[in-house]
Parts: sequence; C-alpha cells; structure tokens
Amino acid sequence: MPVILLERIPLPSLRTYTSLSVVLLSCAVFYAYQCVLAFQTNPHNSDLNGAGIEHNVNIGNSKEISDILNDPDVVKEPLPSEFDIQLPYESFWWNVVYVLTSEIWCIWTVVNTAYCCLILLAKLIQKAVFGELRVVEKQHLKDKFWNFLFYKFIFIFGVMNVQTMEEVFVWVAWFSFLGFFHLLTQLSKDRFEYLSFSPTTPRLMHMKLLSLLGFILFSCMVLLCACTYIGLHAGITIFAFMAAECLILAIRCLHVLGSVKRYVIHLYEMNVDGVWENRSIYIYYTELIFELSAISIDFGHHLHMLLWGNIFLSMASLVICMQLRFLFYEFKRRLNRHQNYRRVVKNIEARFPMATEEEIKDHNDNCAVCWERMESSRKLPCGHLFHNACLLSWLEQDTSCPTCRMSLSEGPQGDPNGNVPDETGDARPNVPHPPHPPANPQTTNHFFHFDGSRYVSWLPSFSVEVTHTQLLPHGGTRLPALQTSQLDNMARQVLSVFPHMPVNLVTEDLRNTRSVDFTIENILEGRLEAPPPGTLVTRAAIGDSESEEEPENQQLLLPSVISQTGAMALAENLYQEQNDRPSYIDDNIPLLEENRREEITEPVAGPSTFGGRFSKSTNEREEMLSDRKNSMLEMARKKYLGKTSSNQGDLNCEEESGIKNNILHTQTSTEEYLRRPDYTQTEDSLRDNTQTPDSLRDYTQTEDSLRDYAHTSTEDPLRRRELHYKAAQRRFNGETQL
Amino acid sequence: MAGSALRRLMAEYKQLTLNPPEGIIAGPVNEENFFEWEALIMGPENTCFEGGVFPARLAFPPDYPLNPPKMKFTCELFHPNIYPDGRVCISILHAPGDDPMGYESSAERWSPVQSVEKILLSVVSMLAEPNDESAANVDAAKTWRENRMKFEEIAAKTVRKSLGI
Repeated sequence: MPVILLERIPLPSLRTYTSLSVVLLSCAVFYAYQCVLAFQTNPHNSDLNGAGIEHNVNIGNSKEISDILNDPDVVKEPLPSEFDIQLPYESFWWNVVYVLTSEIWCIWTVVNTAYCCLILLAKLIQKAVFGELRVVEKQHLKDKFWNFLFYKFIFIFGVMNVQTMEEVFVWVAWFSFLGFFHLLTQLSKDRFEYLSFSPTTPRLMHMKLLSLLGFILFSCMVLLCACTYIGLHAGITIFAFMAAECLILAIRCLHVLGSVKRYVIHLYEMNVDGVWENRSIYIYYTELIFELSAISIDFGHHLHMLLWGNIFLSMASLVICMQLRFLFYEFKRRLNRHQNYRRVVKNIEARFPMATEEEIKDHNDNCAVCWERMESSRKLPCGHLFHNACLLSWLEQDTSCPTCRMSLSEGPQGDPNGNVPDETGDARPNVPHPPHPPANPQTTNHFFHFDGSRYVSWLPSFSVEVTHTQLLPHGGTRLPALQTSQLDNMARQVLSVFPHMPVNLVTEDLRNTRSVDFTIENILEGRLEAPPPGTLVTRAAIGDSESEEEPENQQLLLPSVISQTGAMALAENLYQEQNDRPSYIDDNIPLLEENRREEITEPVAGPSTFGGRFSKSTNEREEMLSDRKNSMLEMARKKYLGKTSSNQGDLNCEEESGIKNNILHTQTSTEEYLRRPDYTQTEDSLRDNTQTPDSLRDYTQTEDSLRDYAHTSTEDPLRRRELHYKAAQRRFNGETQL
Repeated sequence: MAGSALRRLMAEYKQLTLNPPEGIIAGPVNEENFFEWEALIMGPENTCFEGGVFPARLAFPPDYPLNPPKMKFTCELFHPNIYPDGRVCISILHAPGDDPMGYESSAERWSPVQSVEKILLSVVSMLAEPNDESAANVDAAKTWRENRMKFEEIAAKTVRKSLGI
C-alpha cells in the first residue's frame, strides 16, 4: 500500500511550499547576481566567449527539450565552478540568467519554482472553475495521479531506460505538463457528470467548463506541435511515444467536451423530442468512435513500448503486458456491446414497425419509459408504443416488453448474446411457474460443491457445474442421471430439513434442479408434494424449526400448528379490540387535536401540506417538501399520542412489560378519579396505588400533573383531557429513555 | 444518459408533489443532486407498523428508468424483507438481469414503466404483509413466523422511535 504510506507523509501546505520556493528562488537570484557583479568588478577573467549557445530560462520549454535532446553535449559539458565562470553575454541580466541555469543547485531551484507555479496555476483553475471539490472528485484525482506517476515511472526508467540526469529531467518536465492536463480533464469529466444530475446548474458553470476544456484542447495542440518538432530531431520513435500520449489526451478531452456541449444544447434548446430522437444514433456512433479510438491508440502505444523498449524479461514488461491485457478486454467488451446494439437495432427495424399517426393518437399517452410525449414511436406486437430510442436502450439489456413483459426475443434461433436473460420463456404474464425449474433433459452434469464454511468460517462456499450438452437428439429417451455420492449428499441435506419427504422424490427433484436450495424451494412452494398430510405440515415444520427425526411423528406436529394459529387468532383479536376503542375517548381526540393545533399555531399553510402545487422555484420546492415532511411527522406524532393515550385508558391492551403495567395501573386509577366528582382524595388514593418503588417516578409525574390539574378549573373537560394527554406524553418520554 | 433520466425524475417528482399517494412523501434531498431522494413512508393502517413514519433514501442510477434505484431505510426497521442495514429487498427493485435469491420470475422485477410511486407503494404493502419466504433479515422472518407477539412489540417500539417520542 504505497499510496497509503505516501498519504501519511506530512506534506507542507501549499502556502508554506510557495513561500519556501520563493525564498529559495530569491536566494538563487541573489547568488547569481552577486556572481555576475563580482565577475564584472573583477574582470581579469573577462574572456567573454559568445559561443552562440542559446539557453532558455524556462524549464520544460519545448525549445530546451529539443536543445538537450539534440546535442546532449551542451549540458554534458562540465559545469563551470564559481570562480571559473565565463559569462557569454554582454547584458548584465542575461548573465544572471546564465549563471542561474548553469549552476546545479540554481537549476534545481528554478525547477522547483516552475513546479510551484504549475501547482499554483492548478489551484487557480480549481478555484475559478470548480470551486470546492467533492470527495469523489478528490478521490479520482488522487487515484489518477498516482496511477499516472506509476506508469510514467515505468516508462522513463523501464522503457526509455534513460541514463543521464538531463534526460530524466526533460521527460519529467514533459510528463508534468501532460499529467496536469490529464488531471484537469478528469476533473472536468467528473464535474460534468455531477452537473448533469441537476436541472438547475447555472449557465456560467457550463461556460466555464467549456472554456477550460477548450484551453486544454488548445494546449494539447501546442504539445502536439512540440512533439512533432522534437520528433523531427530525435527520431520517429520518440515522436510516436509523445504523439500517442498527446492524442489520447486530446481524444479524452474532446469526448468530455462533446458530452458537455451536447448536454448544454439538450438543456437549453432541445425541447423538441423528434429532433433529439433522430440524433441519438449519431450520438451513439460518436461515442463509440471516441471510445474505440482512445482504447486502440492506448493499445498501440503500449505495444510499441513493449516491442521497442527491449524489455521482454523485466518487471516493466510485466506491467505493460497487464495493461495491454486490460485494454484488450476493454476493447472487446466495447465491441461486444456494439454488436449487441447492432443486433437490437436490426431486430427492432425488422420486427417492430413505426406506429402510424392514428395509433399514436389512439394511444393517447406518454412514452412509458421517459414519460414524455410521443411524436413518433415503434409499436410492439403486444400493442404497446415506445419511443424508438427508449425502446432501443431497454432492449439492449432485456428482451421483453417493458409494460406487459411479453417476450420479444427472436424466437427459435435464440440470441447469441450471453447477458440477455434467457428466461424469457416464463416471462409471459399470468403464466404460473412451470412445475420444475427448466432443466435440459439431454445433459449430463458434473456438479462439485465446496462448502468452505464447514471448515473455517471465512472460507467461501462455491459450486462448480460442468454441463455436457448432447448435440444429438435422443428421441425423447432420457439419459439416466448418475446416482452420484454428490446427489446422495444433497438429498441428505434436503431430508434433514424435510424429514417427511420421500427420498426418491427428493433425489428425483435434485437431479433436475442440481441444487439443494432450489429443491427446498420447490418443496416450500408446493411444487414438490409429499404424500399426505401434505404441505401444511411442511410449513409447520419450517415454522417451528423442529427437525423431526421420524416421519411417523408427523401427527405430533399438528397440535403445534393449531396452537400457532390459535396465537395468531388471539393476536388478531387483540388488534380488533384495539381498533374498536371505546367511543368516549375517540370522540374527544379530535377536540384535543384541534386544541393542540391552536396552541402550537403551525405556520404551515394548508395546501402545501398535501402537495397540490409544484413550484417553479427550486428553493420554494425544497421548502415545501420539507414542510410537508415535517407536517406529516407532526400529524403522525399527534395521531399516535392521541391513540396511545386513549389506548391506555383501555384496560384491554395490557400487553407490555411490567413497568408499563404499573404505569397503566396508575393511569387507569387517575382516570377513574378524574371522572369522579371530588378530586380531593386523588392524591391519597394515588399513594395507595403506587407503593411499589418501581412506579414511584411515574407516580411523581402523575402527581405533578394532578397538581396542575387541581389549580385549574375543574369544570373544563377539555383542559382535563389535555392534562391527561400531557401526562401520557411525559410518561412516554420517560419510557423511551428507559 | 443523464439528461433523459433527469427529465424523467423531474416528471416523477412533479407528479408525486401534485398527487401524492396517501402516507407517502418523496423528493430530492437537495435539488443540486436529483439522483438522491428522501422518502417518508407512513406505516400502513391496521398493521403493527401503523402510525410510524419511516424515512428512506433512494439512490438512482444515471440510466435511471432502465435500471432500478436502490432503496435504504435510514431508520431502524425490524422486518423480514429489510436487511439489518436498512436496504429493502423487494423484487421490483431488482434489475432485470441479476437475481440475487434465484427465484423471481422476471415478471416481478424492474422495468422502466415502474416508478418511484409504485416502488413506494410496494414498500408500503411489503410493510403490511411481510414475505417471509425470501427473508432478507432472517431473525425478523423467524420472529414473524414463530413469535408474532414479539414481532409486534418490536414493531411498536420502532414506530415510537420513528416518531421521536
């Protein structure tokens, strides 16, 4: 996990790094300045040789790359020592520059400054175009960065096999720029995908993204020119390497640019469905070409590396081979998808005619896939209409009508594509499951099951099944399936769950299903029936999870079934009783609720609570949604409290724990007293009721509420109810804390 | 592509706002991302979940009507068809291709004519009638089958918790 290690390195913050770089640079400039000054004031050595060697300051500049690649002697010549300096220029500042680029530590400083500038530029672009990065984007950037670093390291040291520091230096400079643009492209892509999730992104954001992509594209072109120039001097191989990288970058950039542009057009101008629909084919093919060309250039690039680098037996070749393999499969996958697409298109065009105007008019509904109006559509044999594009994208992954699930596969020849589910046979509506899962009688199977968890808990379990399909028809005679130990084993497993099933029946079914789970399911669903007493007992056995040893014990199970159903009936009874609550409390609830509503004075307006309006403004919509949510919660809460307080008045529903019982007890007694005309005795009698220490807390609560009660007018029944309600609420708060 | 998915989601949101089915509220958590919704589902009446309001998250794929969203309850819910981590296991949410349990016919699975509303309605009916034969939470299925009283007790607690009282 080198990446994790790298992340732990305490990197300095950007601010520190920048200031450090600035300090270093100023030191270097100062040093160079002093050198030149000393030289000029002490000109005994002033043997200016204007040898015409051109040096550029800018590191990473293409000119310098070409210079160095062109005649390495320039840089390989021994650097002059401090006191042996020979200044080539007349101008003072050019000499300073010369010193800066000839002294080794000065060079490093300048390089460092260049990187600092690059990072600052990246930061600036990020601030201007993207703003705060999302977590996903950060993660992608990080991944991409380390990935890039790794592969380029392999390239420089494995493939190019560079020997001198200067060569490394030049390559690193080249890849820094390339990597910079790659990362920006990746970031734009991620950001665009995110933007397309929202209908309300400002136009400015799209413009920014588009202009950034344009800038990247332009830089790509510049880089391409640079590498052509270098290629002219350094040979076709270097050119091919560099140009391939440039091209890949350009294609990726164009791809993102294309999708952003399309999206923007889609969002702002394309309100006409028909035009859009016709364009979908064009879009599909551009996507395809972009993807395939990027992959194939990448593939060629890696192949070139492998063949040219003379690295057949090194780690680098291994890495490149892995990458090649990955690219190959990617290519193949894409091509397969395309074939599937072509097949579906052909199928649609051949079998589903365009619907006529009248049919569309008769249909009088939107497309069920995209919910938009239909201008033109295809008609399926089952009579359902869909947009051409919608139907296409659905049929790419499934072969049934989206509405009625009628199978639309091409019939007897089947479909060659593996990823289309082949169970279209039972996809027809209202057709019950076939009694057995489809089993091909003309096959012999080898089934191997490894149950790892039986040995160690973390070992996986897996099954391997080899099926030999008999190509020659056997005229209906079925090959006797092998009575393997495997089958016996599975049968034993099934019988341990369903001891009453006859062995031969289970074995027979296992032969068809070849899986314990399927057979168990068949039994559960009643497709595989045991001799009477039948499936009821089966279910009971499952329900009680008692594995009966002997089939003869079946009769014993029946009482438990009855007891279970008895319990269910009881539960249902309870429900009934809860629902038919005594009416005197029910009647009061609405009053209470209204009362509370007045007290709380909800600001929520009536209509917004129940929808009915779809605002055009985003903020308002969000507000309305949260209002609706809150009011729903509030209502549910009120309803619940109302119900529970009424339920507690009801002695019938004592189904909770002991504490709850105590509460109920106190509760009922209070209630009784509340109904009595004289309230003076209330406290005393409550004390009688609550001598157990468990309920002391509840008691005090109730007592409080009663005191409240005593202070208020005893004549007001509404107020009384409310106090009662509050006490109930308090009790519940206490209970949830328990 | 995301454009058509977005339009469809907009349309569904509009419909759910204009004619909300009873006991269901759903909408994007934040309109900056239309592919992440939050839904509130009321426990169906005359069941043990009655009265509760259960929040759930729906995450839509970029090719939305072609593939189903993922749904996850963000509150605790002890139910045979809800995984302990809150994911909902109903056949309508399973993509046409995959079949995790290996027994559904494709007729029950996702198709683009389904919608958020239909999903939420099926979830409501799932709450009302657990299907213990394809249990996602085995404990819950077992309790549901064998100890209905206990199940109802747990459900009552869940309801209270969901209401925050």
